[in-house]
Amino acid sequence: MISIEHLTVKCDNKIILDDISMDIKKGEFVGILGPNGAGKTTLIKAILGLLDFPYQGSVKIDGLSAKEYMKIKRGLIGYLPQHAIVNWNMPIRVIDAVLIENVKPFGLFLKHSKRDMAAAEHWLSVFGVAEYKDTYIRELSGGQQQRVSLARCMIHNPELLILDEPNTAIDAVYNAKMYEILKELSRKNNMTIVMVSHDIGAVTTYVDEVMCLNVKLHCHGSVKNIDFATVFKEVYGKDMEIVIHGNQCKNCVVNKGSIR
Amino acid sequence: MIWDILIRAAVVGILLSVLLSVMSYFVVLRKMTFAGVGIAHSAFGGIALSFLLGLGGYLLPIVFSVLSSLLIAFMYKKGKMSEDSAIDVIFVFSMAFGVFILSMSDGYSANMLGILFGNILSVSYVDFILSLFVFVFGFLFIAYYFSHFQLMSYNEELAYISGVRVDVLYYMFWVVLSIIIVLAIKLIGIILVNAFLVLPTLVGLNLAKNYKNIVFVSMLSSTISIIAGISIAYLLDTPAGATIVLVFILLWVFSIAYNKIKT
Repeated sequence: MISIEHLTVKCDNKIILDDISMDIKKGEFVGILGPNGAGKTTLIKAILGLLDFPYQGSVKIDGLSAKEYMKIKRGLIGYLPQHAIVNWNMPIRVIDAVLIENVKPFGLFLKHSKRDMAAAEHWLSVFGVAEYKDTYIRELSGGQQQRVSLARCMIHNPELLILDEPNTAIDAVYNAKMYEILKELSRKNNMTIVMVSHDIGAVTTYVDEVMCLNVKLHCHGSVKNIDFATVFKEVYGKDMEIVIHGNQCKNCVVNKGSIR
Repeated sequence: MIWDILIRAAVVGILLSVLLSVMSYFVVLRKMTFAGVGIAHSAFGGIALSFLLGLGGYLLPIVFSVLSSLLIAFMYKKGKMSEDSAIDVIFVFSMAFGVFILSMSDGYSANMLGILFGNILSVSYVDFILSLFVFVFGFLFIAYYFSHFQLMSYNEELAYISGVRVDVLYYMFWVVLSIIIVLAIKLIGIILVNAFLVLPTLVGLNLAKNYKNIVFVSMLSSTISIIAGISIAYLLDTPAGATIVLVFILLWVFSIAYNKIKT
């Protein structure tokens, strides 16, 4: 579904992404790992056609450039930007936030349709925040706001879901539930999910494919086939102790693992 | 005759201030108050040049102001220097240029005071017709694109992937705003026009919670300030522009008190 070939992105002569090539198949749940400044968000922006910097190489979605894809399949992309760059001080209710991408002429005078309201309530309920539908978004906690954003992403049943650190501010208990919902959506709806996260344990537990990025692409493949100890040493520049987490995945790394 | 002038001034004031109120919703929520202040002050150079050349009318001030606003908007969006610094450079350049130009003309002090504080009684039929036209055009523009601007204020990247032409709308917003500001300057002056870029939404945010109600309350509070300000100015023989803004400040203080009592 997504094909990236020799993507190099520079900003003020600093290389942010260096010769990235990869393919993501339809219906795959892909997790992108890497330290701060590794270029994870830049890669996501390249996929969405949001790059402000000059770049070389190509990014295709279903054979189309990102801009063409956005034009033709508008609404079929769900995007969750980093929590910090959303204006949570807007005087809008949760239900308005979920439907905020329904831009229509003379929107000031329009009401949401019953169908849109029902869809919004459904997805708020899936992410466990339906009870707040009439609450103002600025009155919610960071984690609740993030769950509202997840509901917003799903409102048009996207075929491509791009998530930039979705677990920000979400508590540990709901974190696991959120990944299970995403995994289920990917499987049932054949939805392609590309997720940036710093949650190494969760990523290696729930996703189909892992990409490890630090300016260059250090690994891309199935969780089972990656030698995380070696790759993490390259990507994070530290030795990491790999700890087996229950019986979900023999290669998973959890918080108990120490970074030496 | 005086009633004719007062009513004409009040109608023009209401039209422009209602329009500024809706624009102020986005200026405040997008934290672009200083950009708005910069644009208001950048009109000064154009108005001064118009005085010196004896042109009158709005063409030169509007062209000057639109170009300044586009420059500010460009630096605000794409500039590598800090946004506040960029706005400040245009702001002080235009003010210095305006003072320099005015110093060459006769009646320097009178012209200066007129531009800075406005003269509501000087509103002509041409101003009236032009304000009506700008109100209809401006209101249709902001009402048509309201949900687009709402999404841009929430997150510009989401607006982009939802098909909103973010850059075009961003610059159009500043162009429309600068035209309204040039017209409003004649009424209440450069310094006081800033009040209408901020106070309506601040009052709205104190008295209402939902965005539709906030916009409605901000338009209502502007209308009340204009009518009450002009009436008080007429009765007490005080400067109309300053009186309007003082009434607005009073409304804002009341709105804070209401908000505190309510919560």
